[in-house]
Amino acid sequence: MAFLPDESRSLPPPPLLNKGSVWLGFAGWMSALMDNAFNQRPILGAGIHRQILFATLGCFVGYQLVKRAEYMHAKVDRELFEYIRHHPLDFQASTG
Amino acid sequence: MAAGLRAVRRWGQVAAAPPSLAFTRSAFVVKKANNAQPNWLGVGLAFGTSAALWALLLKQHSEDVIEYERRKQARGHKCTEHKCS
Repeated sequence: MAFLPDESRSLPPPPLLNKGSVWLGFAGWMSALMDNAFNQRPILGAGIHRQILFATLGCFVGYQLVKRAEYMHAKVDRELFEYIRHHPLDFQASTG
Repeated sequence: MAAGLRAVRRWGQVAAAPPSLAFTRSAFVVKKANNAQPNWLGVGLAFGTSAALWALLLKQHSEDVIEYERRKQARGHKCTEHKCS
């Protein structure tokens, strides 16, 4: 299956800064800082290009992953509601 | 054995170049990293890749928004015909 099928574009796209992209961007930035620490460079001041690149990669990958996660959740919800629609007797509100 | 060692040392002095193990991190081969002189090619590539990735991300996001709005419009016309549950 494709990573993002065409019907996933019918869903509202997540905001650019969503929990996935922010968290993975932060994780990318942290890994750049850790690379500085392991190579005994100044942690915050060195390798700015590396910090920016890793944070950007994290944001990018996080955004795509959140899009896929929202699509999978929407797909399951759709199947759930279809099932409920096809089996009304099982889901009647308890009247008696 | 001492003669053999002397011969090896002679070869070491003649062929002083390190072995061509390009992707090894062996301490015998790697050069000490010089952080004082920036690797400008690497810096340029990193900034260029970051800019390209951000441009791609922003472009894709705006395309997603446009496509979603377009499909919502199309679905809006369909749903008014009582086809949707």
